[in-house]
Amino acid sequence: MTGRWRVRAIGLALFVVTLATAVGAQRDVGVARDEVVYMGAGDGYARWWIDVVHGKAGATSAKGITAAWGGPGATDHNREHPPFMKTLFGLSHKLLHDGLGVSHVTAYRAPSALMHAFLILIVFAWAVAAWGLAEAVIAALLTLALPRALFHAGLACFDGPIATLWVATLYCYWRSVGPRRGRWTWWWAIVAGVVWGLALATKHNALLLPFAIAPHFAWVVARQAYATTAPGPVRGLRALGRGLRARWYVPVALIALGPLTLIAVWPWLWFDTVAHIRAWLQFHLHHVHYNFEYLGDNWNHPPFPWHVAVVTTLLTVPAGTLAAAAIGVLARARGWWRTRGELADGAALLLGLSLAASMGPFFLGSTPIFGAEKHWEAAIPTVCLAAGVGAAWAARAAVAALGEAWALARHRHAPIVAIAVVGGALVAGAAAETAHAHPYALTSYNGLAGGAPGGADLGMNRQFWGYAARGVLPFLRTQAPPAGAPPRPVYTHDATPAWGVYARDRLLAPGLPDAGHEDAGVARSQLAIVIHERHFRRHDFMIWQSYGTVQPVFVLRFDGVPIVSVYRRPTPR
Amino acid sequence: MPSIPSRLARLAPALALVVIAAWGTCRAVGAGAGVPGDGAWAAASQRLRAELGPGELIVVAPAWVEPTAYLHVGDLITVDAAGRLDAARYPAIWELSIRGARAPETRGLTADRAFTIGGVTARRYPQAARAVVTDFAPQVATAAVGGARTGGPTYVLAEVGFAPHRCAQVTPAPDGEVTLTFADVALGTELAVGVGLADVFTRRDVRAPGELAVAIDGFEAARWRFGVDDGWVRRTIATRPGRGTVTFTARAVGLKATGRLICFAAEARS
Repeated sequence: MTGRWRVRAIGLALFVVTLATAVGAQRDVGVARDEVVYMGAGDGYARWWIDVVHGKAGATSAKGITAAWGGPGATDHNREHPPFMKTLFGLSHKLLHDGLGVSHVTAYRAPSALMHAFLILIVFAWAVAAWGLAEAVIAALLTLALPRALFHAGLACFDGPIATLWVATLYCYWRSVGPRRGRWTWWWAIVAGVVWGLALATKHNALLLPFAIAPHFAWVVARQAYATTAPGPVRGLRALGRGLRARWYVPVALIALGPLTLIAVWPWLWFDTVAHIRAWLQFHLHHVHYNFEYLGDNWNHPPFPWHVAVVTTLLTVPAGTLAAAAIGVLARARGWWRTRGELADGAALLLGLSLAASMGPFFLGSTPIFGAEKHWEAAIPTVCLAAGVGAAWAARAAVAALGEAWALARHRHAPIVAIAVVGGALVAGAAAETAHAHPYALTSYNGLAGGAPGGADLGMNRQFWGYAARGVLPFLRTQAPPAGAPPRPVYTHDATPAWGVYARDRLLAPGLPDAGHEDAGVARSQLAIVIHERHFRRHDFMIWQSYGTVQPVFVLRFDGVPIVSVYRRPTPR
Repeated sequence: MPSIPSRLARLAPALALVVIAAWGTCRAVGAGAGVPGDGAWAAASQRLRAELGPGELIVVAPAWVEPTAYLHVGDLITVDAAGRLDAARYPAIWELSIRGARAPETRGLTADRAFTIGGVTARRYPQAARAVVTDFAPQVATAAVGGARTGGPTYVLAEVGFAPHRCAQVTPAPDGEVTLTFADVALGTELAVGVGLADVFTRRDVRAPGELAVAIDGFEAARWRFGVDDGWVRRTIATRPGRGTVTFTARAVGLKATGRLICFAAEARS
């Protein structure tokens, strides 16, 4: 097998393994609150596209589009979020469930898993091109072995997919500014524009991508043109001008194709375009601040601590990956300092800018932070790529040191063995952590935090989206009324949207309907669940008052940390 | 040939990565072993039941393990005890703790008994219990109420500062005051008052503070302001034993103070 085909085979294997892992893992993960909304919206979008393909009259009229994609309310048909992934969720459900009999939830979630497989593939491809095969394999596997990223990869939500499309945009753009100009750089620029458009059509995070691309583009094109620019005043600026003229098609492709792709896949923008875009963006500029726990305090109002993104990342990415990334950064910085040379055609610089652009808004102290790491998930592949570089560098340095005193270490396969040992230790450790965190990855914390109990001791966020409620369904089954007996309504608070999904998928025993909202729901209930987040303590208290007891009958725990409690009304009415 | 320290320095990153990877994984994956399971809690609960005296309070540390603790000893904790003003009325406090945590209620007290079973530590802290001669919040229905309000007063179990509190809850009109007068009630040597803003969502959406004033027989004895991040604020006012009229004045500070849920409890103690 030639080197090129070996690389392709490894890439394909990584893609398949990731897809299988993400699809397999999500089967144990409960339904997140927002997923239910996206599934419903996706069904509508998919139906609309199918109608259009079948030439249904009036589907593409303003009225027909509004009926499926919009409406007067700010959240009608979930128009506050762009539709690309939702459309895929809906189409996937039609294909995989309606057509092939795959379970409802898996069918909706499959596109996210597919996106994650692409993420791993892109990380691999980028690292191979920029640094080498060893770095690429380690970086790709470390990206796969991220507890929280794998969790998000299995949800019918946008956080996993936007990380993929973010990195994909950067990768395509990076290929378009490679040192050799020609047909391929044009092609990559066009693909970058389209992929950025799909990113815009996935989540508004993509609006931050220019903050990574623009400074990188200016640096790279100026640097490429510098050597051939005549010495003299403002040589750098003249080089930048020459570089821009040489690569004009890159920004043009991004600026033109990005928005056009967004509009093309979002029929809601096909009329009143400016107003609809403004409404979309304003929704997020004025987004309500949800509650999240961070270092012992509940935060729901700015100013937020500036360090949330950094600390949360340090406590959720496996410690070995973080250490390898630190070494990778230091090694690259050392190499650059010694040679004042290239940053692998600016890949390291671009990835650094990507991390800064992705995390940057969370340093402002005013950006809503209600899902912690998922908001800057696009930054994490940078960490893993740096870790791949760091691990390979450390292994090679070790072999070189050993080789000076030990003949065996001078064997031509010694570097491969060393890379396998160091990379294998990192990947095995991270994989073990990821497997252990499953399916409650949002409660898991890394070794620096002391695991899930350490995270709880530190007062870090326990979870969000109510997905862990699925873990108490087997217990609730034991509480279900016998056939023919009156139902036993369950107060489900944050799991309410998922309750119907659980019932449809027969994960929920019959006779346990949702009791309704707030005090009226508690009063109507015979059983109640509380999904433990600090601001959800109020649900405990409502139940205590109504049930006359503080004692739950079941507590679901992850590594000893309570995540869902179940209460039973002492005297059935 | 490079020196041994130089070689070791080049070996160190690889060794460090392997060690950190192993350490981090063991610490994350094995963390659950440091948290007592149901067996330990059940055994500790059984021992506690044998030693728990009448009227003694049970508290849990750290707070995050409370659901597990309540699963095992929740039947020993009344809703009133869970939603207490403070711990002063209890003759002893049993602290159930794991991982070396301490409950704030036992700060400054000395344990007279303790046992540890499977990582669950129980310590008994005796204290001089304060006798409550009047518990105001449960009697809120008997209070004379004046002033513009949009809700209450009601006797509820409310969330204040993410903790449960039995309290009289009232919602004054924006920038308005509501008075609750308890006439001819028994007073002791002190009046303990706890107050705060209930409901995490109104605390988020309405940032204006609340204010509570306490007057005894027409003379204002105390007044304090509490904000959205202050949680449950406690104050103690010295009083003369006997009978008297106590007026609580709750105020939503500012015209933006809509839906300000002011939640207070008070106990006259001897």
